[in-house]
Amino acid sequence: MPPRTLHPALRELALTVRILSRNPSAVMGGTIIAAMVFLALFAPLLAPYDPVRLSLPDRLLPPGGGHFFGTDELGRDIFTRVLYGARISLSIGLLVISVAGGIGALIGATSGYFGGKIDSVVMRVMDVILSFPSLVLALALAAALGPSLVNAIFATAFVMIPKFARMVRGEALAVREMPFVAASRVAGAGHGFIIRRHILPNCLNSAIVLATLTLGDAILIAASLSFIGLGAQPPTPEWGAMIASGRKFLMDQWWYATFPGLFILATVIGFNIFGDALRDVLDPRIRR
Amino acid sequence: MRIWSLVCCLVLVLTVSVAHAADKDTLVVSVPSDIHTLDPGVSSDNYDWRQIYPCYDRLVKYKVENGKGSTEVEPMAAESWTVSPDGLVWTFKIKKGIAFDDGTPLDAEAVRYSLDRTLAIGKGPADNIGAIASMKVVDPQTLEVTLKNPYGPFLQTLATDGASIVNPKTAAKAVGDDKAQAWLAENVDGSGPFKVTEWTRGQRCVLEAKPNYWGGAPTIKKVIIRFMPESADRRMALEKGDVDIAENILIDQLPALEKNPDIVVHRFPAQMTEYVYVNCQNKKLADPRVRQALSYAVDYKGIIDQVLQGNGMQMRGPIPQGMWGHREDVFQYSQDAAKAKELLKAAGAENLELTLIYSERRATWEQIAQVMQANLADIGVKLKLELMSNPTLRDKIDKGDFELCLGAWSPDFADPYMFMNFWFDSKNAGLPGNRSFYKNDKVDELVRKAAGLSDVAERKKLYSEAQDIIMQDAPYIFLYQIQTIVPMRKDVKGYVFNPMLESMYNFETISKN
Repeated sequence: MPPRTLHPALRELALTVRILSRNPSAVMGGTIIAAMVFLALFAPLLAPYDPVRLSLPDRLLPPGGGHFFGTDELGRDIFTRVLYGARISLSIGLLVISVAGGIGALIGATSGYFGGKIDSVVMRVMDVILSFPSLVLALALAAALGPSLVNAIFATAFVMIPKFARMVRGEALAVREMPFVAASRVAGAGHGFIIRRHILPNCLNSAIVLATLTLGDAILIAASLSFIGLGAQPPTPEWGAMIASGRKFLMDQWWYATFPGLFILATVIGFNIFGDALRDVLDPRIRR
Repeated sequence: MRIWSLVCCLVLVLTVSVAHAADKDTLVVSVPSDIHTLDPGVSSDNYDWRQIYPCYDRLVKYKVENGKGSTEVEPMAAESWTVSPDGLVWTFKIKKGIAFDDGTPLDAEAVRYSLDRTLAIGKGPADNIGAIASMKVVDPQTLEVTLKNPYGPFLQTLATDGASIVNPKTAAKAVGDDKAQAWLAENVDGSGPFKVTEWTRGQRCVLEAKPNYWGGAPTIKKVIIRFMPESADRRMALEKGDVDIAENILIDQLPALEKNPDIVVHRFPAQMTEYVYVNCQNKKLADPRVRQALSYAVDYKGIIDQVLQGNGMQMRGPIPQGMWGHREDVFQYSQDAAKAKELLKAAGAENLELTLIYSERRATWEQIAQVMQANLADIGVKLKLELMSNPTLRDKIDKGDFELCLGAWSPDFADPYMFMNFWFDSKNAGLPGNRSFYKNDKVDELVRKAAGLSDVAERKKLYSEAQDIIMQDAPYIFLYQIQTIVPMRKDVKGYVFNPMLESMYNFETISKN
C-alpha cells in the first residue's frame, strides 16, 4: 500500500493538503497565489511586449486593442509590466521572508533555549524594533541606505525579524522543557545540536503560518517603499513604482495606476486568507 | 420640514464655496518646488525671483506694451538718466520720496550699496550687472556709474533681479564677512510693493502687499505661493478653485483643463530652454567624444512630439530662436545610435554607467529622464536616475557634484550674453550659469571679447565662431525651446507675461473679479 510506505513528514503534508482542500478560503487564497506564481514564472511567454522598451507614439493608450491594460506615459504595455511586476514582487516577498524568517528563527530559538539574561536582552532589542510601526522603520532604514531595490528588501526584512524571533522564542520556551530535550542533553548533545535538531523543527509549523501571513505584508511594505521612490528604480516594472507614476495621470488615464493596484490587492489578500486558513489547519487543537 | 432643512444645508454649502472663491484680495499660486533663497544678490533662479522681485524696486523696469511684456525698459526708482557720448558714464537721477519700510530713504547710496553688494558677493547675479566698473554717489539723488566698456544691454541688466535695491541698513545684519547673506536669505528688506511675511519650507511662502507703496497700492492684498510637487495636485487645486494660478501642469492634462469653463490656459512664445548639463570635469565625461555620443543618443523628436505633444522645438545651438545671434546653420545633433556607439568605442568608454539627477521642477522631467535612460541603454550606457528636491539639486549643481543633470534656462535680458557668456565662460562655473563646468580657452576668449564690444555685427561674428566650437565640444545636450504655458482661473485679470521674467508675476497689477 503506497500510503503506508510514505515518509511520516510526507504523510503529514498529504494530510495538510487534504484538509486545506476542504477549506474554501484556503482554496481561494491558494488559487490566487498559484495564479500569481504562474504569471510570474511564465511572464516572458505570456507578455506580448518588452517591459522596458519605450514606444513613445503609443503613449497613454486606453485598455483595448493590443494592450489589455493600456499603456503608460512612455508607451510601455501595462499588462506586460504588471506580469513582470509579479516576478519582482513575489521574489521580494520570498527573499524578505527567507531572510527575516531565517535570522528571526535563529535569534528566537537561541534566545528561548538559553533563557535568562541572554533572553531578556535579545527580546528587549526585538521589542524596541517592534515598537516602531514597521512601515515607518522600513522607510527610515531605506532612506538611510539610499534608494535601491536591494536596500528596500533589506529594510523590509529587518523590520520583519522580530515577528519571527518572538514567535519562535515562545515555542522554544515550551519545547526546551520537553522530556526528549532533557534526554538528548543527558545523552551528551551540545546546545547547537539540540537547537538544530529539536527546537527549530518543532517551531516549523508556526513559522510557516507566520511566513505566509507576513508575505503579504512584506510585498506591501516593499511596494510602499517603491511608491515613495526608495525601492525599485526606473525602468524596473515594480507595482508600487508603477502606481507612483500612474497616480500623476489618475484623473485622465485611470488604467495606469489601477491595474498594478489591483494586482497588489489580489496578491496580498491571497496570501492573507491562505495564511489564515493554514493557521487553522496546522493548529493541533483544531486538527483531528 | 425635511425639505427646508435640505434647502438650508444647500444654501449653506453654496455660500461657503462662493465665499471661498470670492476672496478677491488673496491670490494663490501653486508651483512645483520650494524656493532656495530670498537674497537678490545670491539667487540665480527664477523660482526664487518669483518671490524676491516684487519685494524690491530697481532703477528701471521692463515696459508693458498693450498688455504684453517688452524687452525695453522704462524708469522705476530712477527718474531719468544721461549717458556720456562714449557710452561709458551713466548718470542716474533717483526719484524723491521712495523709502524702505523702516523709513530709510531709497537714495543714490542705497543703489550703490546694493549693486556693490551683488558684485562683491560674486554669484550669478553679479554677472548680470558685470559691466559696472565703478560707482560714485554725487549727491543723494544722483549716482554716477562707470562701465568697463560700452555695453548695449546695460540698462536692461538693471531690471534684473540681481539689481534689486536693498535697504543699506541691512549692512548691520552682516555676520562676519557675509554681507548679510545669512539674514537676507530668509528675509526681505526692500521698498517694493510686497514683502515676504512667511516662508514655511516645503509648504508655502506668503507675500503681503504694502498699502502705502509709492507706485500705488496693489489690488491683491496677499499672495500665497504654495509648493505642490505633483502636477495632478496642482491641477485639481486649480479646478476646485483652491488656487488661482497653477504652474507647470503636465501637457497631457492641458486638453482636459482647457475644457473647464472657469479656466484659461495661456500660452506664450518664450525663450525658455531645457537642456542637460554634462559635467565636463567628471572623468567619465571629460572626453568630448563621449559627450558627443550622449548628444547623438537622445530621441529629440520623440520627446518633443510625444512627451511635449509638439509644444516645443529642438534647440539649434545654444541661443534660442527669437534672440539675436541665433544661427539657423549651426550644427544640430539628431538621434544616431550607431554613430554614438562608434564614438564611445573610439573614446574607449564602453560599458559606461552614469547618473542623471533631476528635480520635480518641471512636470515633464520624469518622463524625459526615462526616455533618456532608454535612449542611452540603446548605445550601451547604463543610466541611473535620481530624483531630488530642487534646493538639494541646486546645491549639487553649484558644487559640480553630478554627472548629468536636467536643467532649464530663460534669459533675464534680451542679449545673447545670457546664453553665450553665462553658459560657457569658465569663470561662471557652477550655479551662476556654466553648469557643465566647461572650459575651453578659445571659447573663453571669444565670448569675453564679444561681451566687451558694443558693435552687434562684430559680437555676432564672435558668438558665431564660439558656437561652432561648442557644438563639437558638446558640454550640454541641447534639448528644446518650449512655450510658456500658464493655466489660471478666469477671474484672474491683468497678468502680463514677459519672456525675460519667466515664472515671475506682476502681482502688483494683477486683480481678481
